[in-house]
Amino acid sequence: MALVVSNLSVGRNGDQVLDAVSFSLESGSLTALVGPNGAGKSTLLQAIAGQLPIGSGTVELHGATLLPALARRELALMPQRGEIAWDFPITVRELVDLGRLVAARPGCCDVDAALQRVGLVGLADRRLDQLSGGQQQRALLARTLVQPAQILLLDEPCAAIDPPSRTALLKVMGQLRDAGLTLLVSSHDWGLDLDAYDRVLVLDRTVLADGTPGQVRQALGDLRVGNHCCG
Amino acid sequence: MLWWLQPLILALLVGALCPLSGTLLLVQRRLFQANLISHAVLPGLALAVALRLDPGVGGVVSGVAGALLAEQLSRGDRGSDGGDEAVLNTVLAGFLGLGVLLIPLLHIRVDLEAVLFGDLLAAGASDLVRTLVAFAAVLLLLGLRYRQLVYLGVDPMGAAAAGLPVRRLRLLLTLVTAFTVVSAMSAVGVVLVIALMGAPALLALTGALSLRQALVRSAALGLVISGAGFGLAIQPAINLPPGPLIGVLCMGLLPLAALRRR
Repeated sequence: MALVVSNLSVGRNGDQVLDAVSFSLESGSLTALVGPNGAGKSTLLQAIAGQLPIGSGTVELHGATLLPALARRELALMPQRGEIAWDFPITVRELVDLGRLVAARPGCCDVDAALQRVGLVGLADRRLDQLSGGQQQRALLARTLVQPAQILLLDEPCAAIDPPSRTALLKVMGQLRDAGLTLLVSSHDWGLDLDAYDRVLVLDRTVLADGTPGQVRQALGDLRVGNHCCG
Repeated sequence: MLWWLQPLILALLVGALCPLSGTLLLVQRRLFQANLISHAVLPGLALAVALRLDPGVGGVVSGVAGALLAEQLSRGDRGSDGGDEAVLNTVLAGFLGLGVLLIPLLHIRVDLEAVLFGDLLAAGASDLVRTLVAFAAVLLLLGLRYRQLVYLGVDPMGAAAAGLPVRRLRLLLTLVTAFTVVSAMSAVGVVLVIALMGAPALLALTGALSLRQALVRSAALGLVISGAGFGLAIQPAINLPPGPLIGVLCMGLLPLAALRRR
């Protein structure tokens, strides 16, 4: 297993946001993390990435405890789009290049290769706020790809973009999985898009269901949680 | 014969410097800090005069202290209810009030009008040196930390997560802002400096492909505005104080910025 999360509990401002969360990720897999607003999806991704203090439990990478310095080198977190100043004067290429500021290693971090992977070579010299929402998300994904990480944590990359852009982004994520990267992707999707993932984790403070998209739909039906929790 | 040369050089230097700092602050969404610092320099300036120290040094210390105090008091999540704004504005007014009170308390004489609105024609060599030091500080910050400042501006949380020294960067930004404000004191005054920091930056940022491009454009715009303001002010037919005139010309840039942003 590439990543093993065991009994992870995290509090924020005195509230217990995550309670005894346990799961593991295989190398070269594409996993969806779904759940209602406030379920703790972003908190979980930030805690795994070493950006939030952990109350109890462990996060291990290839058998070693994941400390913040190691997390910065081995994991890359793509933030929610609300955290980005899209009107900042910057081209797509310069944005992607910023990824190299994070734990850069010789021989990695090829900006052009990252742009190629997300299909933005032709727009590399465009200002960021001249792109569509879907293209902006792909630019952000390319910045994540420039980091020398094998595990990508993507926080709602498909939020607030049109269906064709979402399909294009899912295709890119599938290609990254095929290239051997491990992806954990938080999402509100509960439609057919979920079938693009190998596996689905349903979170609401703790893991409610874990399996293939079909298994999880079945399990959620049994739990009577219903589809409403996932949009 | 060349009485206008030194004030003109100072006007041009300040005209280029203020928009540089202003652009950096604007993209970090921290332009309010320039306003705060510009009002917070007064207590330090008064104390420095009383202690026979360089007023600029006192102003910088006091301005940074005001900015840090406001940041400390506004830390916490009060943004949504305007709590942070209330804190910032109260610290701004408090420091200004303290400065005004210190003048009679310390039995010193400070030309408040010149401090607030500038007196370019009375500027001396020490003002020129102060501005050159501030210019060097801004260029040094840009030279050494440009990419980190870009990261911080685009994605503040990501910058912290990436291990960038976010607090140190913000402190450095506060420091160069204080240097800029104090150096602009003699040219446009601490109240009008905000116009020279904000308006050229706003216009320069529209359509700029990079922060670097916006910085160059804003400095050029500020230089032109400041030079034009000074040139107009000293015309015998006009004969007005240059500082306020530069402030008014800056306001004239705003409709242009609005047009370009459409």
